Amino acid sequence: MENKLKEILLQVEKPARYVGGEYNLPDMNKKCEERVCLCFSDKYEIGMSNIGIRILYHMLNDMEDIVCERSFAPDLDLGKILKEKNLPLFSLETKKPIKDFDIIGFSVQFELQFTNIVYMLDLANIPYFAKDRDESYPLVVAGGPCSVNPMPYAPFFDAILIGDGEENLKNFVEYHKECKKKNLTKEEFLILASQKFDGIYIPSLNNKTTRAVCKDLNAAYFPTKILVPNCDIVHARATIELFRGCANGCRFCQACFFYRPIRERKEQLLVEQATKLLDSTGYEELSLSSLSTSDYSDLKKLVDDIKVEADKRKVKLALPSLRLDSFEAEIYEELNGASLTFAPEAGTQRLRDVINKNISDENIKSSLISAMKNNVKNVKLYFMIGLPTETNEDLDGIAQIVKQVVYLHKMYGTSKILNVSVSTNVFIPKPLTPFQWERQISLEEMKQKQEYLQQVLRIKNVRYTWHGAESSILEAVLARGDKSIAPVIVKAYEKGCVFDSWSENFDFEKWKQAFEECGVDMNYYISEIEEDRSLPWDVIDNGVTKQYLLKERHLAYAGQTTPNCMKKCNNCGAAKLGRCFK
Amino acid sequence: MIEIVKHRKIGDLSYVSHKDTVDVLQRTLKRAKIDVNYSQGFVKHMVTYNTTPIPLGVQSICEYFIVDCNGVNAQEFLERFNNAVPDGLKANWSIEKKKNPNLAANVVASDYLIKCKNVVPSIIEEILDEDEYFIELLKKGEKIIKNVRPMLYSIYAEGKDLWIRSATGNDNLRIDSFVKHISNVYNIETTTNDIMRVNQLVKKGNKLISVEEYLNNEADSNN
Repeated sequence: MENKLKEILLQVEKPARYVGGEYNLPDMNKKCEERVCLCFSDKYEIGMSNIGIRILYHMLNDMEDIVCERSFAPDLDLGKILKEKNLPLFSLETKKPIKDFDIIGFSVQFELQFTNIVYMLDLANIPYFAKDRDESYPLVVAGGPCSVNPMPYAPFFDAILIGDGEENLKNFVEYHKECKKKNLTKEEFLILASQKFDGIYIPSLNNKTTRAVCKDLNAAYFPTKILVPNCDIVHARATIELFRGCANGCRFCQACFFYRPIRERKEQLLVEQATKLLDSTGYEELSLSSLSTSDYSDLKKLVDDIKVEADKRKVKLALPSLRLDSFEAEIYEELNGASLTFAPEAGTQRLRDVINKNISDENIKSSLISAMKNNVKNVKLYFMIGLPTETNEDLDGIAQIVKQVVYLHKMYGTSKILNVSVSTNVFIPKPLTPFQWERQISLEEMKQKQEYLQQVLRIKNVRYTWHGAESSILEAVLARGDKSIAPVIVKAYEKGCVFDSWSENFDFEKWKQAFEECGVDMNYYISEIEEDRSLPWDVIDNGVTKQYLLKERHLAYAGQTTPNCMKKCNNCGAAKLGRCFK
Repeated sequence: MIEIVKHRKIGDLSYVSHKDTVDVLQRTLKRAKIDVNYSQGFVKHMVTYNTTPIPLGVQSICEYFIVDCNGVNAQEFLERFNNAVPDGLKANWSIEKKKNPNLAANVVASDYLIKCKNVVPSIIEEILDEDEYFIELLKKGEKIIKNVRPMLYSIYAEGKDLWIRSATGNDNLRIDSFVKHISNVYNIETTTNDIMRVNQLVKKGNKLISVEEYLNNEADSNN
């Protein structure tokens, strides 16, 4: 395989993506009883930026008798050559066909990657549907954020691992290694594993399961020697994870509810992890990651302590996911001149109350003044359109905020020029959110709103971009779909749909044809859902209860907010899975 | 102080582009905790230099990485560099200079060894008897026909090995394109990855000398 690959690598773009050989590569020749291939259903540069892949890859390789390799979705040029030459999809480390591994584990990050699962299975010469695979095939499992509702892609997999991979992937792989010695069939193993561990959903059994959770993040595995790619990737930087879960409870946000309970890492441990990571990687940037970084208990001290180590190494700090309400001018002062990214999500206070984005106009104003005084040159603002109860007044509110940013720069700004980027995404009703029952606005409504904003945002030095309307519809359908969607995904793939999240490849017409030919109505999945209807993802207990989500939905329509969980526990139900924020 | 290492670029790393290789080498310096000097411009960057890039897929045992840094001697630099670099870029020689020897401008030729799967016909050496030798090359994505004979200094067949000395630097013969051309004309079984740059050469009077010799002796006069 390696020799054949040499010949074709120079015919494709960025061959460095397919050769491996990165710094900090674990020992692939160690004694091994179980070989796992982690598959990421997007390109190398996306997958290698993913913190989940980084954690799980090194965790498995640090386990006794287990070797883990990687495979990413090859770009279309290589995919075509592999098909033409009848070469199987291979792992980066040993160039072994992924079909020859004991376990293949897909990380499913995003609904628009579903066709890439089929693409990778196709290239690997593995039948798409689990029911068509006999004992000669490896176990094919999936995990990742899309396991909130795995039903649309569940028929492709033998098992779906729901929750923290440091728990259930570790247990699953170790137990498989044990069971292999007993010569159990795949089915026998899967039944036992699903009974023994949390967070193991077997699509063929449709078993009820509870999401697996690392109760103490301080004790959870976190690699401090990670692979350093030899080519450019999307996030070429070291990343530490401050905490998991989110206390804010924005009613559209799936991650907020999926990753609960909230679990923080200790400040001292984070500084230690950051220092080791910087030394072992040589990265010039360190990201302090979480769903809402400024909610970390003692962010000021953490930033101060990490900055000492970062400065010694001439490393820049990045603090993504800051909230306007808890934005601290002092912290910004530390990062003087960096660009500022905020997500007010809605243009008016009324709509922000509906979605429970607990920031006020006053918060926005005072935070922006602090930033302007600290030499900010670029402001990026993120909003959503099509939120429940939204009117044109809310869209006008977006323009008002932008005008205020420009005005505040004139009044308080210390930088010569201020560039403002405004981006809107279409609201997608996602499972496990209080808005999971909502309808999605129609394509016509989306386009009208985008055109309206284009007009009102014609302001000097303001750039407006928006996320595709058609792809948002597909994302909503796939997010709330059931098992009848799986044949549609295969049909769409057969029509040429692959890398759907890359706008240049997205072809909505082909998707519409696929739905039509499979007799599945897309509109069914984007219409409002009656509150008493059972939902495809009800079989999975994600911690947060349906009753709580429903209560939150009703509060949204009443325009009432729910406080941040750090102020008061709102009894969402997640605390039963582990330690919530003190 | 200027530290220079001679490193290889082999195996998987030969598929890494020149720009990415520079990033890998600069990250290596960070991991090796070398106190590198930074430019004083608006966007500060490490002060490092390289020799002329080799085409993607071509391997090499003689790339030179030049670093403006403080607090280490050549031997220590070599050791720390090797402890922090990916295997395919390990170095085997180092030297310290006071000034940047500007190898990118001074290197004028390279020796290549091409390992072939069949015996290379010695008739190939007759290319040197020609006054002109035209091949198809890609220039900024466009196909052009160019006379490469002035850039070809020697060509020698020895069993399954083919040795070529050709121009490097401002006048640069794309070795991958040339080998592809002659392998078609003379039925030689080889690939781009079978090409190894084995020596880089600097002009001294009428002679070509190796970069090591230049740095060991000649470059001193510049110091």
